[in-house]
Amino acid sequence: MKVLVVDDSKLARLTLIKTLKEYEPSAEILEAENGAVAVEVFQAESPRVVFLDLTMPVMDGFEALERMMHINPKAQVVVVSADIQTQAQERVLALGAKLMVPKPINADKMLGVLQQLVF
Amino acid sequence: MESTEFSSDHLDVLRELMNIAMGNATASIADLLQAFGTMHIPHISISDMDGLKSYIEEAVPSDQHSYVTKQLFGGVFGGEFVFVMTNESAANLGHYLYDVDVPSDADILDAVIELTNILSSTIISRLTEELNTKVQFFPPSTEIISGNNLISQEETLNYHRIIIVSTVMEFQSHKISGQIFILTKDGMIQRLRELIDQKLEELYA
Repeated sequence: MKVLVVDDSKLARLTLIKTLKEYEPSAEILEAENGAVAVEVFQAESPRVVFLDLTMPVMDGFEALERMMHINPKAQVVVVSADIQTQAQERVLALGAKLMVPKPINADKMLGVLQQLVF
Repeated sequence: MESTEFSSDHLDVLRELMNIAMGNATASIADLLQAFGTMHIPHISISDMDGLKSYIEEAVPSDQHSYVTKQLFGGVFGGEFVFVMTNESAANLGHYLYDVDVPSDADILDAVIELTNILSSTIISRLTEELNTKVQFFPPSTEIISGNNLISQEETLNYHRIIIVSTVMEFQSHKISGQIFILTKDGMIQRLRELIDQKLEELYA
C-alpha cells in the first residue's frame, strides 16, 4: 500500500510515518514537502492514502487537496493540521477530504484514522 | 562547553511546535471573533540584537502607532512574548469585541490586553507542553508606540544572542492582524536546545 505524507516539517513527517508504521509496517511511504510536489507525486504514484498538512510554502494544503480531488475524486485524503478552526475543517471536507485530524498525530488518533479508511 | 548551535532539525522542530501552538491560539480567537483566521508559516531565526532590530523594522510598520504588549515567562524555559498590533487593527478589534461603532481608548486597550492574554497563554502553554515542561507567566504591560522601535537601548544591552520566533495573526474579514514575537535569550537558548534534543531522541528511539 502506497501512502503519501505531505508536510513542510521533517519532524511532522517523521512523527506521522513512525506512528503509521506501528499499524501498517508494510506501507510504502512517499514524502512531499509542499503541496506542489505532493500533487506531482500523487499523479505519478497514485497512492492509496494521502496525509496532508495545510499550512505549507509554495502550495498550501487547500489547493493541493483541490487538485488531487480533481485528478482522482475517489482519493482518500486525511488532512493533518494545526489549523483546528471549524471553518478550516468544513472547507477541507467540502473539498473532498475523508477526515481531518488535529496535530500532533499520535497512536490513538492514527488508529482512529486507519479504522475509517478503505484498504 | 555548552553548545547553543541550532541545526536545521532543531529549527524545524521549533517551527512545527510553534505551528501547532499557533493553530490552537487561532482557533480560540476565531471563536471569540466568530471569524476565520489565516494561518501563516512561523519564522524562526537566531540573531544578535542588531539582527532583531532589522527584523522588527521589516515586520512592523514605521509610519503608524502600534499597541505593543510584552509579557515575560519563566521556568525551565523562559523568554518574552511580544504582540504588536497597529492602531487600526486594535480599533477594529475593539469594534468587534465590544459591538460598538467607535470604541473608546479604554475599550481598545482592554480588547488588546484580552487578545494578548489568550495569545500568550495559549501559544506558550502549548509550546512548552509539547516540550514536556511548564512555565509561569509574569504580568503583561501594554504601551502605544510610534513607529517600530520596540526594543529599548536598555534591553539591547541586556541581550547577547536571541532566538526570534515570529508569526502573523490575521483575520482578514475583520481587518484584524498582529505580529507575534517570542524572544529567548542567553542561557535559555541552551535549555531550549536540550528540550528539543529530548524531543528528537524520543522520535528517533
